[in-house]
Amino acid sequence: MAGELAFDIAPAIVALPFASFLAVLALGNYMPKKGASAGIAATAGSLVLSLFALVTVAGGSTYQQDLFTWSGAEEVPLHFGIFIDPLSAMMLVIVSLIALLVHVFSLGYMNDEGETGLPRYYSELGLFTFSMLAFVMADNLLMAFMFFELVGLCSYLLIGFWFREDGPASAAKKAFLVTRFGDYFFLIGTVGIVATFGTSRFVSTESHTAFPVLAEEALAEGGHGVTTFLGFGPEAWFSIIGLLVLGGVIGKSAQFPLHTWLPDAMEGPTPVSALIHAATMVAAGVYLVARMYGFYALLPTVLAIIALTGGFTALFAATMGVVKREIKQVLAYSTISQYGYMMLALGGGGYVAATFHLMTHAFFKALLFLGAGSVIIAMHHNEDMWDMGGLKNKMPVTYYTFLAGSLALAGIVPFAGFWSKDEVLYEVLVHGLGSAGTTGTILLVAYAMGLVAVLFTGFYTFRMVFLTFHGEPRTETARDPEPVRWNVKLPLVVLGALATVAGVVNMVPVEKVLGIKGIDYLHQFLDPETELVSNLTAHHYEEVLHDVSGYTADATAFGSESTTVLISAGLSLGLALVGVGLAYALYGRSPTPEEHTDKLGGLKTLWYNNYYQDEYQVWLASGLTLPLAKLADRFDQGIIDGAVNGVGRTSLTGGSYVKRIQTGIVTNYAALLALGLVALLLIVGVTGGWFA
Amino acid sequence: MAVDTSYYLILSAAVFCTGLFGILTRRNALLFLMSVELMLNAANINLVAFSQYYGNLTGQVFALFTMALAAAEVAVGIGIILVLYRNFEDVDVAEAATMRW
Repeated sequence: MAGELAFDIAPAIVALPFASFLAVLALGNYMPKKGASAGIAATAGSLVLSLFALVTVAGGSTYQQDLFTWSGAEEVPLHFGIFIDPLSAMMLVIVSLIALLVHVFSLGYMNDEGETGLPRYYSELGLFTFSMLAFVMADNLLMAFMFFELVGLCSYLLIGFWFREDGPASAAKKAFLVTRFGDYFFLIGTVGIVATFGTSRFVSTESHTAFPVLAEEALAEGGHGVTTFLGFGPEAWFSIIGLLVLGGVIGKSAQFPLHTWLPDAMEGPTPVSALIHAATMVAAGVYLVARMYGFYALLPTVLAIIALTGGFTALFAATMGVVKREIKQVLAYSTISQYGYMMLALGGGGYVAATFHLMTHAFFKALLFLGAGSVIIAMHHNEDMWDMGGLKNKMPVTYYTFLAGSLALAGIVPFAGFWSKDEVLYEVLVHGLGSAGTTGTILLVAYAMGLVAVLFTGFYTFRMVFLTFHGEPRTETARDPEPVRWNVKLPLVVLGALATVAGVVNMVPVEKVLGIKGIDYLHQFLDPETELVSNLTAHHYEEVLHDVSGYTADATAFGSESTTVLISAGLSLGLALVGVGLAYALYGRSPTPEEHTDKLGGLKTLWYNNYYQDEYQVWLASGLTLPLAKLADRFDQGIIDGAVNGVGRTSLTGGSYVKRIQTGIVTNYAALLALGLVALLLIVGVTGGWFA
Repeated sequence: MAVDTSYYLILSAAVFCTGLFGILTRRNALLFLMSVELMLNAANINLVAFSQYYGNLTGQVFALFTMALAAAEVAVGIGIILVLYRNFEDVDVAEAATMRW
């Protein structure tokens, strides 16, 4: 394993953006393009090295290396380490590619628009890229947690880039607080894992065993070799830890009920939305579940919760996206919804499907955000879709790439999103049909929600496309949009190509229906036959899911396997087409479309106000937490502080009385001395028996 | 021929009580010093008396040391009294009570 050049220089993947961060932070004002060039060079370097690592991993090797043990050398070693396996190599490429394209796009979106504070912007982008890559490479949960927090910090800084305005500043705070609420549980879960297993490694090495392996052994042997707490048995306790870690995942990947920060995060610059709030940082949560899937696969309860949360979020967010007016808001809700699909796949036993969707979504959603950024430049930073219209002919590159992204998002064959979303739904369906009892029912319910969400996705995506690009221009700006330069078009073209063709890496339906073997490249890639990661492979997860959690895939419920595949694909494609057709009928046919949202009545108000999620969370804070905090404050001030103050006051009062014997008159002291001596003599005498 | 030790002890106790009485009743700082000297000498008498009783010279040597110490103490004491007089225009010990709480 070691000795491979790609792996020996792997630390540079992380080090390059960090160097760019430091350099731009210190000297940004004196650098070409205010630091953008340094960022582009660093991310390009990372991309090349990541691709090199990916190719090496595809050749069948993986790499794990401890870099630095910073605490607890004997008992519980806490360390930083690098782990590169198919999953992390793929993620490294995604992150560095999107980061590079976003840096290029920022030249058009930030530099050309004459923004100030650019060195700050580029240094924060560098710090983010560094933290995200380090998170992906982490070989243990604690290190992952640290960089998880760091990407959260960068998200906060970049959302609040225009901190002099009220909106971005408060959106940044909200994003920070809401994700931190989830991270709090993640921290407890991490401590729980370290305390239970004595390690938080994802991967076994020659001398150490990974915690998912320990958990599997412990469950097989009835709790042998692990420490559980609070009197829970191993399975219940593992589920509790799993749910705690899931708290961080739900916060970061914007799942219900901690999704409320993501739409507000759109206050940040659009390239930031594309990089952080669509393609990479929000993927951190899903990536984390995939990273420790060997652990989650052991816990059917937690899997059911993941599947339900994912399915519900997918549907829930898609409905809200239907009525929004701002282009970035639609995309934000669609991001939440798409991450719901990934969670659904993970909960439904589709590890590869989730990873696949993570990849295609990173491409097409970054594309859509950058396309929206291009439109926003053209519209002089007006984001309201009702002020647009007819941009199709004015900006063809943006239009056609955006259209490719939209077709991918809606899940229309043969764009990338179709293949991944179809596989997500297919995996959940076959596992739901095959598993007995509650597990099967829950998966089918989650599947149904995901399926309905497909209809909404098709609708809101094409409502957005028709309103933005088709029909007559509705404002003066839309009639004469500002042109965009190559630095905007180039990333769009690259991502547009990827959104169109990325699906070929995993055309499972084609393989199953036509019987062509060996074109499920992603499956093969994520299922390597290497000793080091034998417990981190897709077929191992499938075995564990079957043996421990009772997940069974039954692909023959509707006759043969290819029938099931066709039914599943046909259902999701049909629903997506119905959604698109509905959008066309309502908004695409007439050159001057009208608002139809009012016909929804009360539903429109409910959706427009996001199901009053913000209101109820504010109420939770001000109506429930605040009184509780006041009560705790009173307890603290009254009883704890009261006791401390009471002790002080008692000795003060006592002292003020006793001090009066200090008269300052020597005679009195002498008298006291003499009396004391006499008293002492008397006591000694009486007890010593002198007077007997 | 030799005087019984108990007489010395009674003398010593009498001298000590005289000194103590002086300290408890007088207000003049000079009389204070004198009373303290009386008490010290009472202790000296005891030392010498027991020294003679046990036939051991250590006690007498000790008495010599005590006298030297007493001389030093008087020197310090008179210094304090001089300062007392300078500050209060009096040598009344009850006057010097301004530094209490």
